[in-house]
Amino acid sequence: MTISLAIDTSTSRTIVGIIDEQRVIFEKFHEGATDHGRALSQLVAEALKVSAPPQQVVVGMGPGPFTGLRVGISFAHTFALARTIPVIGICSLDAIAIDQNEYTVATDARRKEIYWARYRNGVRVEGPAVSKPADVDGFIADHYPDMKKLVSLAQTQNVTEPMYLRRPDAVPTAER
Amino acid sequence: MQPIVLGIETSCDETAIGIVRGRTLLANVIASSVDEHARFGGVVPEIASRAHLEAMLPSIERALKDAAISLSDIDAVAVTAGPGLVGALLVGVASASGLAQGLGRPLYGVNHLAAHVSVDYLTHTQPTDPTIALLVSGGHSSLLQVDDITRSVTKLGATMDDAAGEAFDKIARILELGFPGGPAIDREAVNGNASAIDFPRGLTTTQDWASRPYDFSFSGLKTAVARYLESTPSIVRADVAASFQEAIVDVLLLKALAACKSSGIDSLVIAGGVAANSRLREVATERCEKAGIQLRIPSPALCTDNGAMVASLGSLMVSAGRPATQGAFDADSSLKVEQVSL
Repeated sequence: MTISLAIDTSTSRTIVGIIDEQRVIFEKFHEGATDHGRALSQLVAEALKVSAPPQQVVVGMGPGPFTGLRVGISFAHTFALARTIPVIGICSLDAIAIDQNEYTVATDARRKEIYWARYRNGVRVEGPAVSKPADVDGFIADHYPDMKKLVSLAQTQNVTEPMYLRRPDAVPTAER
Repeated sequence: MQPIVLGIETSCDETAIGIVRGRTLLANVIASSVDEHARFGGVVPEIASRAHLEAMLPSIERALKDAAISLSDIDAVAVTAGPGLVGALLVGVASASGLAQGLGRPLYGVNHLAAHVSVDYLTHTQPTDPTIALLVSGGHSSLLQVDDITRSVTKLGATMDDAAGEAFDKIARILELGFPGGPAIDREAVNGNASAIDFPRGLTTTQDWASRPYDFSFSGLKTAVARYLESTPSIVRADVAASFQEAIVDVLLLKALAACKSSGIDSLVIAGGVAANSRLREVATERCEKAGIQLRIPSPALCTDNGAMVASLGSLMVSAGRPATQGAFDADSSLKVEQVSL
């Protein structure tokens, strides 16, 4: 039996879960696009109170707005280091649970764009990518990563780099 | 037992981890993304933030190795909570929270500026406060009165426009000396005549001394240098660099020494990246000796942003019995210098 601390900060929500195999011991979120820093340590403190010590950390690696995304990944990394337990990274869009054979999910990428990915029979077949909503057909928005699904994906994937999908905005001096 | 404190600093472009035991420095690891910013002519916040996340774990592991301790030996974690670039600060604060919560140790969110001053406590065994502190870097130029570094810091004055280090960067760019400008101008100025050109000393008229004695302004100096370059057909670059540097050094020390005199505090700490400037160190030594003021400037490696300073302030807070930061907290990009800790 593996107890997992699950964290996702790739959306406007800070989501924390404790999953014991397939059992959800704790799952809570805080809504607020600029609150990730404060919310995450509060939720984790709350989660740890109701659980035996976690044996692994599973964290959403995005895509998502950069600043909030990094809060979850940074916290997951050092928490795992402190506990000497593994940390496993998951594509956050993969963790959005939709009960359909074929679907496309999207989250807010700001600047009037969306992060999205397409799935068929439980497998990602396109994306993750960042696009204008008009360029993506029939996507499901308003869904958020599910901590149970996030943890279940840890058996098959481990994303080690944040999924930024966009380059930093900056213009070299020579090109100005 | 002296507390072992790990400090994390990510307010700008250095990912820095320091470990101290009491006032003894055990490790000071700095990973800088400065090279990635050079072609942009300044720090790009998003590039800095990405680099912080990448460098964090390797830097912590390296610091533990240098200090020859394991994470479980750590008694407290300290982190720069502000001021600084918010996205950059957040990587540090989140990393520190994860570490503190993972270890079950207290977390101290501390002020970057106070930390700069507190690093001096690692190199001097005598208590340093009360002292006047001149804090000069790429982001800050402040004159502070420090009555107790763990809880009582008063701002006497600050720059009204550019920070001193920012002025160095801008002038270095005009002179095509590269980024960061501080070390580049320092090197160029060695072969120049510091009194070749009489550049203005901002906010030093009689009226300024009466109304804003401890504030700085460097934008007029910047304009004066630009105008000089435009109107002078054949410039001697080393002379321009040396004269510009002299103007900054002169005005910084005029005001710092005036603060010592009027407060009756005969101790001056100079900290921040610009404190690594060789001319500033030289002139400060001369003038303080003449004025009977005890001068303390940390070694150049401890002047620029580093983790040791954060660990140092954390350690002083632990030793003074100050409470750890209660509950969860966010980075505060515009944290006031008076707020030593959260």
